[in-house]
Amino acid sequence: MNIKISALQFTREVKSGNISVEDFIAKTMEQIHNVDDKLHAFLSLNEKAVDQAREIDKKIKSGGKIGQCLGMPISIKDNICIKDTKTTCASKMLENFIAPYDATVITKLKQQDAIFVGKVNLDEFAMGLSTEFSAYGPSKNPWNTDYVPGGSSGGSAVSVSAFECVASLGSDTGGSVRNPASFCSTVGYKPTYGLISRYGLISYANSIEQIGPLTRTVEDAAFMLNLITGVDPNDNTTVDNKNEDYLKDIDSGIQGKKIGIIKEMIGDGIDPSVLSATKNAISKLEGLGAICEEISLDMVKYSVAAYYAITATEAGSNLARYDNLRYGYDFPVEGYEFNSYIEKARKKLGPEVIRRMILGGFVPSAGHAGKYFLKALKVKSKLTRQINDAFKKFDLLISPTVPILPFKIGEKINDPAALFLIDINTVTANLTGKPAISIPYAISNGLPIGIQLIANSMDDKLLLQAAYALEKTVKLPEVPI
Amino acid sequence: MVSREEIEHVAKLMRIEIDDPTIYERVDKMMGYFDILDSAGVESEEISVREIPIANLREDKYIPFDEKLIEKLNHYKGTYVRAPKMI
Repeated sequence: MNIKISALQFTREVKSGNISVEDFIAKTMEQIHNVDDKLHAFLSLNEKAVDQAREIDKKIKSGGKIGQCLGMPISIKDNICIKDTKTTCASKMLENFIAPYDATVITKLKQQDAIFVGKVNLDEFAMGLSTEFSAYGPSKNPWNTDYVPGGSSGGSAVSVSAFECVASLGSDTGGSVRNPASFCSTVGYKPTYGLISRYGLISYANSIEQIGPLTRTVEDAAFMLNLITGVDPNDNTTVDNKNEDYLKDIDSGIQGKKIGIIKEMIGDGIDPSVLSATKNAISKLEGLGAICEEISLDMVKYSVAAYYAITATEAGSNLARYDNLRYGYDFPVEGYEFNSYIEKARKKLGPEVIRRMILGGFVPSAGHAGKYFLKALKVKSKLTRQINDAFKKFDLLISPTVPILPFKIGEKINDPAALFLIDINTVTANLTGKPAISIPYAISNGLPIGIQLIANSMDDKLLLQAAYALEKTVKLPEVPI
Repeated sequence: MVSREEIEHVAKLMRIEIDDPTIYERVDKMMGYFDILDSAGVESEEISVREIPIANLREDKYIPFDEKLIEKLNHYKGTYVRAPKMI
């Protein structure tokens, strides 16, 4: 049985009776057992997955009502709550935390008969871009296991790339879906802010983070969006998309569309092979009838600093809840004074989380707020104004997703400023709430390169149409695992 | 430049015990990177805020939970969260 198929192919094969869900899930679990020792995408597995598949087969055979996923194997980033399942955020602090409820995205996927094959790795509390900050060890890039898979949704990207599932859900705060998608040659989608409910996503930086799908194809990303978008009373930042069908007319093409090439995202520090792939993608889009012109967004230069100042502040507040009294690990309270207990308990948090919490204490504090936090908010406002102006002239914007190729595990872990700059092309979409997608585009020296397209808020459908058109111009080799 | 004492003060307020000596240098480096914001020229920029009308918020009503949530906590006694002594 071929498990190297897309989500939509899977649904077609199941509907036509060519494959049984049980066989497919069993084969997928076998693949996980075969490759995951090497790749470390998964933090926990759903041991009941095959039984659940059998139940879905029974439902199909009996002609019962069946959801659109038809038992599709999906992996879930381990910062999204699945009721009665461990949700660790890749942190020792939450190593035994069992979620008491389902995230809205999980409720929606359960209603569509998805099967969650397991929870996947991330940088602790989604703070990082390589999965090297996971308390349970890094995931490895399936294209070359000496290299990072990107992050923070590294486990999601690895699991899709290595055929350990057909789709995954990650979360994107500053590029955490698109960055690993680019590094592992999968599609990664960050929706318009508010399009997908964050209820049940363990908070890191609420004002800019979003759940997003990682898939094998652009069509699969559209399919997933159809299932998980919409207003949620449990998340009052959600927006009404009027039940948009993102799959319909996905092949409309991009004839006559105007695409802005963001000058600041193809400048200093870009790897020559990434630049060359970007230029090639632009030529392909022009060949499809798009009109591409350079545009300058000078606030991009300051976007990474603004992003880290804002996210650290929100993280400092969000992580204050980890006092080990309500959530946490087994550490008795007897014999401790209140403050010293919390200090001791927080030793379970990893070094990157501690650093960002301290930053989050500094940035908004008296004496520093004007210098850092308020300026960061002003940069965010100005960047939003600049990008809104850009969308008066252009339908879409383009850049490489990440300006460099995947790097070796350990190569950059001790250089925070170098790590920060890897986010330069992705944080703009988060700070401005715009939808963005990473499309697998090229392989250089055996390592993947992704191209990023950005659209105006609520133009997610247009974005997927353009991404689909670009995707159809490339044929990439299969991942060498 | 952020001093060692400032870092220790903030860490104490955040109930974080520093036992990694490299943290001072790394936090200082990260804060140093934020200095780029000084040259952004955004002094006169207004901060935009996302407004959500009250009418769009969900009704504030009691929704029964089908399990005993308190049993999910690590430390509890009866219906109370159990915490270390404050004095």
